[in-house]
Amino acid sequence: MTKRLLCIPLLIGASFAFAQAPPAAPAAAAPPPAATAITDADLKNVETPKPEVRVLGDPDGSITGNASDITVADAKKGLTVADVLNQIGQNRIGINFTWTLICGFLIMFMQAGFAIVETGLCRAKNANHTMMMNFMVYCVGMLAFYLIGFPLQMGGVGAIGNLGGTAPLNNEVTITLFGKAFGLFGKHGAFLMQGHTYDVGVMVVFLFQMVFMDTTTTIVTGAAAERWKFAAFMVSTFLLGAFIYPIFANWAWGGGWLANLGGNFGLGHGYVDFAGSGVVHSVGGLTALAVAFIIGPRLGKYTRTGKANAIIGHDIVIVLTGCFILAFGWFGFNPGSTTGASGPGNLRIGTVAVNTMLAGMTGGLGAMFYMWLRYGKPDASMSGNGFLAGLVAITAPCAFVNPVAACIIGLIAGVLVCLSVEYVDRVMHVDDPVGAISVHGTNGLWGVIATGLFADGTYGGGWNGVNGNVKGLFYGDPSQLVAQLMGVATLVGFVFSFSFVANWLVDVMVGQRVSAKAELEGLDVPEMGQVGYPEFELKARALGAQ
Amino acid sequence: MVLLGLLITLLGFVISFLSLGMTTSVNARMIMVLIGIAVSFTGIIGVMNRGYLKNAIWRK
Repeated sequence: MTKRLLCIPLLIGASFAFAQAPPAAPAAAAPPPAATAITDADLKNVETPKPEVRVLGDPDGSITGNASDITVADAKKGLTVADVLNQIGQNRIGINFTWTLICGFLIMFMQAGFAIVETGLCRAKNANHTMMMNFMVYCVGMLAFYLIGFPLQMGGVGAIGNLGGTAPLNNEVTITLFGKAFGLFGKHGAFLMQGHTYDVGVMVVFLFQMVFMDTTTTIVTGAAAERWKFAAFMVSTFLLGAFIYPIFANWAWGGGWLANLGGNFGLGHGYVDFAGSGVVHSVGGLTALAVAFIIGPRLGKYTRTGKANAIIGHDIVIVLTGCFILAFGWFGFNPGSTTGASGPGNLRIGTVAVNTMLAGMTGGLGAMFYMWLRYGKPDASMSGNGFLAGLVAITAPCAFVNPVAACIIGLIAGVLVCLSVEYVDRVMHVDDPVGAISVHGTNGLWGVIATGLFADGTYGGGWNGVNGNVKGLFYGDPSQLVAQLMGVATLVGFVFSFSFVANWLVDVMVGQRVSAKAELEGLDVPEMGQVGYPEFELKARALGAQ
Repeated sequence: MVLLGLLITLLGFVISFLSLGMTTSVNARMIMVLIGIAVSFTGIIGVMNRGYLKNAIWRK
């Protein structure tokens, strides 16, 4: 009897033990239940919060957003499967619209970053002029892109699935060479009306591409600052926004021949430039070089023997603040270039954002330590430029590389920008007050090449219509590097030449450079009619500042 | 001299571009494209820049 009583707690304990143990695996895998089609009748039984419950409020959000919020096409039929599927599709496109637009707004704010970086790196006597160029570049560039540039760039891109189709952008002008079609420029989308382009998806594409283009135009103002005639700046910017940028952007992003190097010639996935190291930054940097050639250095920049004088900017505080604004905007630039947060591959935005952060970090550190070791001090403006150089370089490969590669790309960019600034300044004797040629031109090219080296084959399935993920040289596909180098050759050989001729014509017709008298006085009054800082101008002169 | 530099720069692009039609070998294309890039840089840095430096404002 006593033994039986002792067994009871043991049995109870054992039953608890069995209850808490994981269920044993079935002896043989049972076949999965056959899929059951959901019918409209099933949806009639879906419970939704009753009105008397809703009127009590929803403090924790558990009953807000449910089946009763799905729009019903036919009230007599009630909720149907078609209604649910349409809602799912619209949700996906709605998420992607919202994502792309908000990222576009972030990129638009980069204009403020560029404005204060460039103004801070210039002398106080040119502050109004430099700010005004950076302000009006937004308006002039947008006008050019709206009137001419957008149809040239995106008029033949075809349907963009993430944005619901954009089917009206379907007219690309092509020529046949080597037996293959070469896309040259698009034709649909003039005034966002022509060719049925009065379309919500097309509007999102326009906004997002416009802010990219405007980033390119604002790069040039830095290299030509402190001696660029305002009227010439207006014409030059218009030409860049209307023709130079859109043509190359079409070749890379708009369905043009560079994008199709993979499909037509077996070169990897064709030219791959995720967010525009080449399209945005190299085009801007190389145009800046062309303008700097034509316009010449500032008075006092070089001695008669060719020795470079440092002309110090007037406000390092706003320079570094501007760098932070730019880095913030870059989270729109790179992750936004998925043009979607919902759909196949779009969750890559997490990797893209982290890679962007990491490359900026190593770029800033690389430049700071280079300057510290070489000159004995951690130079603030070059640290800022290194930070930006890292961001520029990761812009093309950000979606295709892993975080370690992003760090390496950024670190190389940080050192490269210092070497490039020294070379441009002391060997080429090209005056670039803000280092735009090196930050955007040199490191834009580096970013394009880095994609062809470090792309690790984990992303980019179907990119430019080529099956499989994008792989660079280090992961087994040398042909991708050839496609990237073809992009570099096009940028250096064609885009630079195109920019040079356009700006040479501006020089002939308008005159690119202000008079020596205006330059010595500072451009604020001769060009703008008002000084930037009326109250400390006298103090600065009394101190003998330039 | 500047015009000559511009033509050389464009020539570099043409060399790279022609690699698409002249060969199907990846290695040969890579060599041609690299030559094209080098020619373009020579045009910009070696010829155009030198042309501008001859008449540079700071020499006067």
